[in-house]
Amino acid sequence: MYKIPLILLAFAPAAQAESRLLYLEAQAVGGYSSMEKKTVAHSMTADEVMQKPSAGFDLLQKFSGTSGDAATLALQGRLSWDPDAHNRLEPQLYNAYFRARAPFGYLWAGHNRTAAGLESYFDTHGALLQTLPMYGYGLDRDWGAGFSRDTAWGGTALSMTTGSGMRPRGAGGWLLSGRVSRGVLSRDNFSAGAYASAGRVPRTAGYRVMENNRPYTAFGSDLALLLDNWEFRSDLRFGKLRGSDYFSALGRLGLNLLEENRLKLEAQGVYSGLKREEGWILGSGASYALTSDLACRALFEYDAVMRDRRVTTQLYYYLKI
Amino acid sequence: MTKPLFVLSLLLAAAPSFAAVGCDLNDPDRDVARLFPGSTGYKTAYLSVKTLGGGKMLARIEARLGDKFKGLYETIDVPYTLYTVTKGTVTAGYIHGVNQKSEYGGTQVFLALGTDARIKAFYIQKLTSKAAKELRSAAFSAPFTGLSLKEFEAYDPAAAKLPETGPLSVLKSPSPRARKDFLSVLRAVKKNLILLDEFVFSPAPGAGTSAGGAAK
Repeated sequence: MYKIPLILLAFAPAAQAESRLLYLEAQAVGGYSSMEKKTVAHSMTADEVMQKPSAGFDLLQKFSGTSGDAATLALQGRLSWDPDAHNRLEPQLYNAYFRARAPFGYLWAGHNRTAAGLESYFDTHGALLQTLPMYGYGLDRDWGAGFSRDTAWGGTALSMTTGSGMRPRGAGGWLLSGRVSRGVLSRDNFSAGAYASAGRVPRTAGYRVMENNRPYTAFGSDLALLLDNWEFRSDLRFGKLRGSDYFSALGRLGLNLLEENRLKLEAQGVYSGLKREEGWILGSGASYALTSDLACRALFEYDAVMRDRRVTTQLYYYLKI
Repeated sequence: MTKPLFVLSLLLAAAPSFAAVGCDLNDPDRDVARLFPGSTGYKTAYLSVKTLGGGKMLARIEARLGDKFKGLYETIDVPYTLYTVTKGTVTAGYIHGVNQKSEYGGTQVFLALGTDARIKAFYIQKLTSKAAKELRSAAFSAPFTGLSLKEFEAYDPAAAKLPETGPLSVLKSPSPRARKDFLSVLRAVKKNLILLDEFVFSPAPGAGTSAGGAAK
């Protein structure tokens, strides 16, 4: 069995191997908001995109040439439903980018993560606890183009985007972001980044433009740290937003428990420091993996800015098809 | 709102639960060049036990491993990522990683194999442990070089005991505190070698890989 003709192996690709991964995603979300004084089908506000009852897909397609991998297409969309939202049924597109190898790194174009903060590499598109963009500071994803280069010590990334966030049609804005990081989280158990963004961006809520473009800047540092079954994440950010100075901060502590870390307990504090809108948003939640595809989550969040106390529950399903 | 939510919840609860996320290199360009110096490219492919051989293949893999597949990381439809590394137009070898339950969650263990199915390089990518530095050291990984599935057949993961003589006797836990993760790594290496054998080097007839037909 071990004496294999090398010449045959050399030209023997694994048949039935696939160049793509396709997942089905579905979630049920329900909770109670003291501000809205009723049960709700959203984890943030009705105008924000995450999280709501939805069904969708997640596609990753590799393209290869004679010299090997050349590019990747990522498409991730869902149809969400929320009776309180401006659009009750809303098609949402998260990843929608084409990423190609280049001599100096990777180039991408489409809808992808901007090069700023935790959100540049930490995927929360299925989670209840969110990062700073969902609290009004930055963009979870944006339309545009960018490049990234991984190095032995970490990485660098640059993006030039429209500043419109989820909305495919730009509003005449622009956002230039750059980030340098040290450490790769899944290798070194830490990643520390410094970043800066500048541009003119509209105020958006999900797919809606609420205010026209105004100057925006962000300077900050992010950190993710894994230690045994503990996780720590932080993001400190300051700059100018809608004509006011701001400082915002996020700190999150996570504890993984049970076999294979099936249970995760998390606590998070977010400081929203925009002038005249200062306040804390404190959250604590639990996530339990019922199977490799199905997780149930619960979150309690106290939002001092909105004077809201929310309890949200979620069943999240992610199935390879 | 209540009724649609309830219906969706029922659908979710009733659905089968098999899929999981695979094990990719963090930075394939950098990692392939490091694990295969002189290589000129690589091609990524996704494989799964479910599509290649189904339940029969899974039973065979478990029998060869000497242990059952279990938990979140070992479902039948886990997509395994295979990197076929090229040097010019010739295949130089393969890189393949597996997730393995360890003391604190999951560990990712990658093997770089030459076309002779022997380990060229051994690489622990993700490992959350106080002993991570020791288990990632060159001193720990060096004895794995040159070993193959033939040698690892002597290791029984269920009993978690290495043979006292033979090629595997050189593999040692770097410290007492690394013992649990060391055993996880050994199981991951054997599992990885078996999967590569099934996928690439000598798949059973009908398992569906052209490599197998050629090799046999």
